[in-house]
Amino acid sequence: MRPYLAFARASFLNLLAYRARYFVGILTYFFNVTVWYYIWKALFSEVPPGGTLGGFTFPEMLTYVATGWVLRSFYFNEIDREIAVQVQEGRMAMALIKPVDYQAMTIVQSLGESVFRAGFFAAPIALVLLAVYPVSLPASPSAALLCGVSGILSALLVAAINFCVGLIAIRTYSILGFLRAKYMVLELLSGLLIPPAFFPEKVRPVLDWLPFLHMNFTPGRIYLGLVSGRAALEVLALQAFWVVALLFLGQVLWRRTARHIESMGG
Amino acid sequence: MTSPLVFVKDLVKTFEVQKKAPGLMGAVKGLFSSETVTLTAVDGVSFSLARGEMVGYIGPNGAGKSTTIKMLTGILTPTSGTLEVDGMVPFRDRRTYTRRIGVVFGQRTQLWWDIAVVESFRLLKEIYEISDHDYGLRMKEFDELLEIGRYLDQPVRKLSLGERMRCDLAASLLHAPPLLFLDEPTIGLDVVAKANVRAFLAEVNRTLETTVILTTHDLDDIEELCQRVLLIDHGKLLYDGPISGLRDRYLPEVRIRFDLKDSALSGKRLEISGIEAENLGQNRFQVVVDLRKMASADVIREVVNRYPVVDLSVFEPDIEEVVGRIYKDHGRALPGAPVSERPATQVRASSIRRG
Repeated sequence: MRPYLAFARASFLNLLAYRARYFVGILTYFFNVTVWYYIWKALFSEVPPGGTLGGFTFPEMLTYVATGWVLRSFYFNEIDREIAVQVQEGRMAMALIKPVDYQAMTIVQSLGESVFRAGFFAAPIALVLLAVYPVSLPASPSAALLCGVSGILSALLVAAINFCVGLIAIRTYSILGFLRAKYMVLELLSGLLIPPAFFPEKVRPVLDWLPFLHMNFTPGRIYLGLVSGRAALEVLALQAFWVVALLFLGQVLWRRTARHIESMGG
Repeated sequence: MTSPLVFVKDLVKTFEVQKKAPGLMGAVKGLFSSETVTLTAVDGVSFSLARGEMVGYIGPNGAGKSTTIKMLTGILTPTSGTLEVDGMVPFRDRRTYTRRIGVVFGQRTQLWWDIAVVESFRLLKEIYEISDHDYGLRMKEFDELLEIGRYLDQPVRKLSLGERMRCDLAASLLHAPPLLFLDEPTIGLDVVAKANVRAFLAEVNRTLETTVILTTHDLDDIEELCQRVLLIDHGKLLYDGPISGLRDRYLPEVRIRFDLKDSALSGKRLEISGIEAENLGQNRFQVVVDLRKMASADVIREVVNRYPVVDLSVFEPDIEEVVGRIYKDHGRALPGAPVSERPATQVRASSIRRG
């Protein structure tokens, strides 16, 4: 375990190297929430006071949007792009000459990044948003706790997904296009941009059978108290199941891809 | 006799590469059919290395050097043949095996680019589970030999190539591996830095009895460090033996250069033992003697007896020349598509950064 902790630590230090990126990053998140604040404000102006859209009141929607972006600032990683670049620059060989499991190494590095992001992005962004917009606090102490657990699972889930995406991306001829498409699709399917209630009736059950809603929607609705108690624990269990399943898928894909990578010269 | 550390027999590696027809139509066709061609990068290579040996592995670009090294380091799986190092099969036992080897790729670094060098070392300490005692001891040793102490708190990106290479060498030896792979360890270094690296490698080989496999295009590295050289081209091993033997076998010739007393003979054709001498101007002539046909002593005797010689020198071809000749001759003798070291897919994914 210790070698992997060391990877997380190195990854954390690596992020500290560039401070400018960090301030720009915080501003970006703030602007994103601002844009969505005005969009929802405009939409809710058609609704009588206290009315709902997709099951959310305006304060709930604002809080959902804010938690969504704070969460994203925490779980965001670029494992997929880094894998692609490693292959492209022939650096994969450097990873393979180490006595460690490649997937585990990659994922702990991204967790190191998330620890960094929790302190340097998520926390300050959350404070700014609480100060500027009428965002509510967690529905209850237990909601806060469960949302925290769910957030950590989100980070693992995103890391597991991106690991798979990276391995698939290097098989395509347009890695850049592929990864850009991934951002768009995941921002939509995770519930970051709009809660799943706004999707067409026929699409919703499909979403429930995919892992992506567990990136944003799951921790978001736990925070708001829209799901609590036993039901919340069940949702968390399902989220954990997806983490395990996708880590397993990543391991399988890695075994297959390792053979493919070698024909590209490592 | 003890068993060899490295045992390689009939090693073969082939790559399936997608065949692409040229032009627009070719690109369209490529969408629907994927014809592949098989390239043989390593074609039946056999050799074995004893513990403590230091060998040079040379060959022109695309000869199959890197592919062999990648198989030996467990990165690539051989297509066929036997490969055993230190009682392990590299590709099969990769996780255990890589604890027993050190690898330096001169063109890349295994250190983290943006963090202090010492942080990379700490990471390696954890990866290889090196005890505090051993770690302290080796760091002290490396600082004495490589003087890396003063770079340790700097990020790699701020180091010069020579400084970085010293740090990389130390990093590859931190876990005291019995076998060290060096791929172009002196590439891009200045004369002083090269000398430092070579001195360090010789020292490591002598004191730690580390077995070293060195690939390089700088044949001075080989001449200074290696008792033995392996030469590969078109995936086949052409030569395995001492570096002097390479000269005897592939370019057995010497050049005898002599200066004459006066200009009486300038402009004349001179012939010595049936070889025409080349007029280099200013009363200087040169004969190239094929040592398979005659002894250089006989030629010298004849020159001195027949002409008023003031000064005479004999040149052996340097190793660069020998190897250059081998590559050239071999290229002509065995035409065929050279295997590129990095074929296939163009990928670019550098400019997404969101978040």
